[in-house]
Amino acid sequence: MSENNNSLATQKLIVGIFSILLLIILIIVAAVEMKQTMVPELIVDISGENKNCVSCHIEKGIAVKSIDLWKKSLHAEMSISCVDCHTAKEGDFDAFFCPESDFLVARHPTPKDCAECHEQQVNEFADSKHAHQFWLIKNTDRSVFENPISTRHGCEQCHNIGNLWPDGSVGECDACHPKHSFSKAVARQPETCGECHIGPDHPQIEIYLESKHGNIFRSQEKKLDLNYSSKDGKPIPIDVPVCTTCHMDGNETQPMTHNVSARLAWESQAAWSFRTVWLEESLGNWEMKRSRMESICKSCHAPDFIQTYLLTADLINLQYNEIRRIIVGMNKKLTEKGMVSRLEKDGKFYSDPVLTGWDEESEYLMYHAWHHEGRRFRFGAEMMGADYTQWHGIWEVQDDMVNMFKFAAERGDPEAKKWVQSNDPIKFAPYALYDIPGNSWGINVLSNTFPYVYNAYPDYWERIKANVKAAYENGLLSEAQWLSWSKRYENKEHYLGTKYNVDSVYKIYTDRDNLDTKSMNKKAVELKLPGKPFWSW
Amino acid sequence: MSGKVKEWLMKRVPFNQEKTSKAMSKIFLEEPIPKQMKNWYYALGATPLILFGFMVVTGILLTFYYIPSSDKAYDSVRYITEEVSMGHWIRGIHRWASNLMVIAIILHMVRVFFTRGYRKPRELNWIVGILMLGVTLTLCFTGYSMVYNQLSYWATTVGTNMIKEIPLVGTTILGFLRGGEEVSSNTLTRFFNLHIGFLPTLLFILIVIHIVFIRMHGVSKLEGYENEETYSFYPEHFYHTIIVTLFLLTFISALAVILPPGLGEPADPNTTPAHVKPEWYFFAVYSILKFIPLKAGIFLMIAFVIIATFWPFIDDMLRKKWPKLKAHYMIGSLTIVLFLFFTVYEIIVY
Repeated sequence: MSENNNSLATQKLIVGIFSILLLIILIIVAAVEMKQTMVPELIVDISGENKNCVSCHIEKGIAVKSIDLWKKSLHAEMSISCVDCHTAKEGDFDAFFCPESDFLVARHPTPKDCAECHEQQVNEFADSKHAHQFWLIKNTDRSVFENPISTRHGCEQCHNIGNLWPDGSVGECDACHPKHSFSKAVARQPETCGECHIGPDHPQIEIYLESKHGNIFRSQEKKLDLNYSSKDGKPIPIDVPVCTTCHMDGNETQPMTHNVSARLAWESQAAWSFRTVWLEESLGNWEMKRSRMESICKSCHAPDFIQTYLLTADLINLQYNEIRRIIVGMNKKLTEKGMVSRLEKDGKFYSDPVLTGWDEESEYLMYHAWHHEGRRFRFGAEMMGADYTQWHGIWEVQDDMVNMFKFAAERGDPEAKKWVQSNDPIKFAPYALYDIPGNSWGINVLSNTFPYVYNAYPDYWERIKANVKAAYENGLLSEAQWLSWSKRYENKEHYLGTKYNVDSVYKIYTDRDNLDTKSMNKKAVELKLPGKPFWSW
Repeated sequence: MSGKVKEWLMKRVPFNQEKTSKAMSKIFLEEPIPKQMKNWYYALGATPLILFGFMVVTGILLTFYYIPSSDKAYDSVRYITEEVSMGHWIRGIHRWASNLMVIAIILHMVRVFFTRGYRKPRELNWIVGILMLGVTLTLCFTGYSMVYNQLSYWATTVGTNMIKEIPLVGTTILGFLRGGEEVSSNTLTRFFNLHIGFLPTLLFILIVIHIVFIRMHGVSKLEGYENEETYSFYPEHFYHTIIVTLFLLTFISALAVILPPGLGEPADPNTTPAHVKPEWYFFAVYSILKFIPLKAGIFLMIAFVIIATFWPFIDDMLRKKWPKLKAHYMIGSLTIVLFLFFTVYEIIVY
């Protein structure tokens, strides 16, 4: 029976075949599954109409990568698919029939579409200055200098973040949340803000990257997962702030917001620094906005540090106005006196002595001292970018002022002539000054013994106090700031470090410096080569 | 051992050393094995045992760090994987050994099934084997839930959901296993207890019974194999086993390095992933259940388990009725083909 029914050869063959088959297939299956646990790739549900979109797009090779990005998105995970965003109604401004089906497709999902699910975010965004295309103000003047095609992929590309759509909605969500992944992590990446906030006129990304914040970010970048939710009053999950941490993300005390204006106390991109009044009815006054920002700062910093740091930045904003007053005043005077002319056609002006103008040297200087140098000076001070406050900031603003005086003197302005001819060292401060005793980091004993104004003007701090007080009384500084400033003023010898004597320590360095100078003189300045020069004086 | 110590010890542990070692040698080393076993197919019974050994050792090491609570389980697995010295290797071996153990058991069953090793008088040992398969799969299921990531959490939810469909007692058993309405910390502690205590002990007892049965019956002879020659377990078969052990350790280590088990997303009971799926060895059942109503599917599974358990008797009855019918070839082949088809289908389609 056994011979016929279960022959040895058959047994071996069947056991052999199935063993090998099972072994190979099951190990591959196990390996495939194990690999999936390593990269938790989402398995996406593509069904119904979406299946047609996806398969046809893949088949025709159209925007396939967009589909790949979507597949990895939270949208895909939540089964938000093609038609959920791209559905159009007949008559919609962007409706078109898909050539391969009878489906009416919306070419441009707008914030109105996003608001179907993200209403709060869209509304917050619409209330922010991101939504306001203020580049259009005075754009008639600008357009005489830059031709339209050039601004298409220039100004317009960035300012599209506040795109005003035919359906009445405002904004371009994918300016930060790139389609079709709509990633939170990408939106939080500082370079996303830096796509626009870069360059000579608003180099926030460069300022951030040169700041301690940016430096720590770079050193930890690979370990950071920026794909977190900051909605529910949870602590900030990363140890270093990116742009959105301070301007948008929530912490235990602040809700997350898409209104980037909710925490800003200044209009320091404007030609003049002024305390913001943007949407005061819902966002509160500048002090309220500043307190929101401080709530975020407090996640990492001590209140005293925050107070002094921001007060110093505020005084720099105010100082900028005083310098601008001089620069603009001169250009205005030259224009009024007819020493420089405005662009004009058919009785309409295309340049403005206090805002725009590009065909006269003084107009250039006035414009640059605001739009480029003046912004860098103020942004650097607010975001810990020392080099931008200093060399790309005040140095160049002062340079603009000096050149303005030289130009005005050449055109015959008597005051400017007097300024040029003067040898008084104080001529570089033809404006009122602000200051604060000391800095937010500690006490530097020697740095405050040298400034010319400290030594040449015994009433220096009295004059400063009067200015700071006036700023407070005019609502430009808060009461807490005025008290904080006064506390430092009362005890300025401490904060300035002048009451401490560490001359003996500093002498070590001056002695070393003397050796340096000697060496430089000997080896460089006084060095004479024996070979005869090839051209004689 | 010096004489005095030996004498002292023998007084307190009075066993006949000579007799014992002779008996041990007869039991363990000189076991007569039919010549047919000089074939690698016959290492497939020892393979699951070796893998079980790996699992026990690595499992004990994993319990040093693993914390069975819903808010710490995932982090402790992450800690084991990313921070504990050699933790990724230990976890990798544990996970891969469990996968290979299932494969090895399937292969062992294929050999026993097609050589009809279960035939009279070994029917009961086949049933013990089926029980061991059940316990192993339960160990795998409970072990997978320990990771407490999204996939394992929802696999556990869906897997335990099926229990509800068992007539009459389903809901009660489900509540008992989950310790509440949903998979939660209670479920985790229960499953952890089962995984490291009850189930391994049960499996160990079943292994002992399985081997005792083998020793009592002797290894089954192949049908159609006339050679009556035998050889003793030691050294040849013993060395086979050692080689298999070393090979497995190397192979699993390589797998654990090349394809280490990942961590996935932490379990989130509030968010159901787009696709919930069990471990691959349940794919076939999971896939079939999608094509038929759940009740019918559960009924079919129960029927399949009963037929598989009592197959030696069923096969005998079939043979008596139709002596020429090679039922086991047909049913065995069909089962394997269907199992492979649905397993692979599930992977390719989803």
